[in-house]
Amino acid sequence: MSEALLRIEGVSKKYGPNTVLNDVSFEIGKGEVVGLLGDNGAGKSTLVKIMSGVVDSTVGDFFWDGQKIDKMNRNVTERLGVETIFQDSALVPQMTITRNIFMGREVTNRFGFMKMKEMDAVAADVLDSVVTIEGIKSPKQLVSSLSGGQAQAVAIARAVHFKRSLLILDEPTSALAVRATEALLGYLTQLKGEGVSSVLVTHNLHHAFQVCDRHIVMNHGKKIMDARREDTSVEELTAAVVEGAVGLARFRQGTF
Amino acid sequence: MSDKIPGRRGPILEVPLPTEAISVRRKPAGEPASFFGRMNYNLQFIRGRGALEISIVLVVLLAGYVIASLISPTGFAFLNPNNLSGVISQSVPVLAILGLAAGILMIAGEFDLSLGANITLSAIVFIKTSEAAGLWLGIAAGIGTGVAVALVNGIIVVYTKIPSFIATLGMSFFWMGAGIFINGTSPAALTTSREGTMEYLFAHNFGSFRSQLVWLLIIGVLAWFFMHRHKLGNHIFAVGGNPAAAEAISIKSKQVKLMSFAIFGGLVGFAAILIAVRTSSIQPGGTATEDFTLFAIAAAVVGGTSLTGGRGSVIGIIVGAALIELIRNGLLLAKAPGFYITLFVGVTIVIAAIFNKLMEGKAR
Ligand SMILES: Nc1ncnc2c1ncn2[C@@H]1O[C@H](COP(=O)(O)OP(=O)(O)O)[C@@H](O)[C@H]1O
Ligand SMILES: [Mg+2]
Repeated sequence: MSEALLRIEGVSKKYGPNTVLNDVSFEIGKGEVVGLLGDNGAGKSTLVKIMSGVVDSTVGDFFWDGQKIDKMNRNVTERLGVETIFQDSALVPQMTITRNIFMGREVTNRFGFMKMKEMDAVAADVLDSVVTIEGIKSPKQLVSSLSGGQAQAVAIARAVHFKRSLLILDEPTSALAVRATEALLGYLTQLKGEGVSSVLVTHNLHHAFQVCDRHIVMNHGKKIMDARREDTSVEELTAAVVEGAVGLARFRQGTF
Repeated sequence: MSDKIPGRRGPILEVPLPTEAISVRRKPAGEPASFFGRMNYNLQFIRGRGALEISIVLVVLLAGYVIASLISPTGFAFLNPNNLSGVISQSVPVLAILGLAAGILMIAGEFDLSLGANITLSAIVFIKTSEAAGLWLGIAAGIGTGVAVALVNGIIVVYTKIPSFIATLGMSFFWMGAGIFINGTSPAALTTSREGTMEYLFAHNFGSFRSQLVWLLIIGVLAWFFMHRHKLGNHIFAVGGNPAAAEAISIKSKQVKLMSFAIFGGLVGFAAILIAVRTSSIQPGGTATEDFTLFAIAAAVVGGTSLTGGRGSVIGIIVGAALIELIRNGLLLAKAPGFYITLFVGVTIVIAAIFNKLMEGKAR
């Protein structure tokens, strides 16, 4: 039995007196696509930030491939190959697309000077490779000149370009056009074949059900459901997301 | 590539994914092949960032001055070597270097209003050390003081999260006091040590220009490569533009801000040396250096630097400084009364700030 890629145990998060996450545990298997579902304010984005190492959990343990991670932070997750598309803008509007894609990971010579031509060329290719982005003229465009969907696509392109083991997408399709959304969902299934795991946070249960191997439903900071695709249905997920633990119980009794 | 997944309802996406594209295309789509085509094409990405527009204004003004001076060499003595070498090539470099200092810090999203006090203190330390221990130690001590002062300010700003213009305004009184503390209230003056190497390095008259202009050239080129081509400069833009986004990609915004303060301090310390060698003496607690604080920020703003961080250019800032000094020089040559000069500079700054705002809107 091989170890899970990432296992989190007993994760809680408090912001002042508010408990945003309450004793959450789950695993993400190697090559697995996991759907992270739940109503607004359920704690999904907080969980995403904790898994990405940009926010500290109040308590909780993390295991990567069975090994305990002593201190979760962005340096560790970067080293492990975790790449995240954050829900709240992760781009710098005043900078070009190229500079955003390579921000913090610039292609440089050994003195730290950037190879602009090389980065522009790769950026142009990255933009084409995953989601079809209409209307972007050049990677030298400022991100502030892009539409919400185009900016979202740039964030996706960046994450996809740098991902190595785990790709986390927090509501990536919220601003995307239909075609781009389909391409992205298709891409997640393809990643599975390459052994890359992904976590998809979304409001759209149909999207989640199309591509995810397993679904985790959050409600008021608690995990109320964790089911493989073959053991659940869109209807059951809907009950859990909309009505919480009560709705889930009612659904299982057949009285939803 | 997406497989049929057994046991599920509904259609499965069958989107062909062009992953092979990575090795094929080397040039962004739509970029013309000819040199002029490409230049014209790239221009659209430069426009809206301030530097181009302000350069046009500078060129027009400069042309006006040259024509006026050719028509009336005595009435408007702009092209007189005394003016070019004695005024322009001494004042423009100092303001441009200070503008770069303030501008780089503004790009990082911070201000340092103790710039003037820093100049006074660094210049005093430079003068006293040079007199006592020679030029090279003096230079090191002057620049070192500038960096130390700015870093103390930076640490206060970064770790207490007090808005930087409040914290550094408060600290400016402290640094002014520190100057009086180490020197007393009488002016610190360069005497014998100014002769020879020091004068040659920092204030020598080469006929139609002075040493300072060479320093501006060197610092300008270094600053351009650092801010626009080095990854650390890139991080300064990122942190100033959207600190949360920079942090999410593991850029340490506190370190980047402290680095920006240190660069600011180094440039201010260097400018302090230029000022000290030009004037030969510095008055502790004096207000002569105070003006530089706002003029430096003005140069940055006129040059297209955003007041809220993340936007600005080295060329723009240098051009902005040149523009301010040229306006000042022109009014002086036209024998306008002193208050006109302040007034015109004030108006220029406000117009530039409004212009900047419009540009920021247009870039969106
Ligand atoms: N930085 C923060 N400070 C205080 N409360 C926060 C912070 N971030 C999130 N929260 C709170 O945590 C709860 C969960 O938020 P979030 O994780 O964004 O939920 P979701 O992504 O599921 O909609 C919300 O009630 C939100 O107000
Ligand atoms: Mg969210």
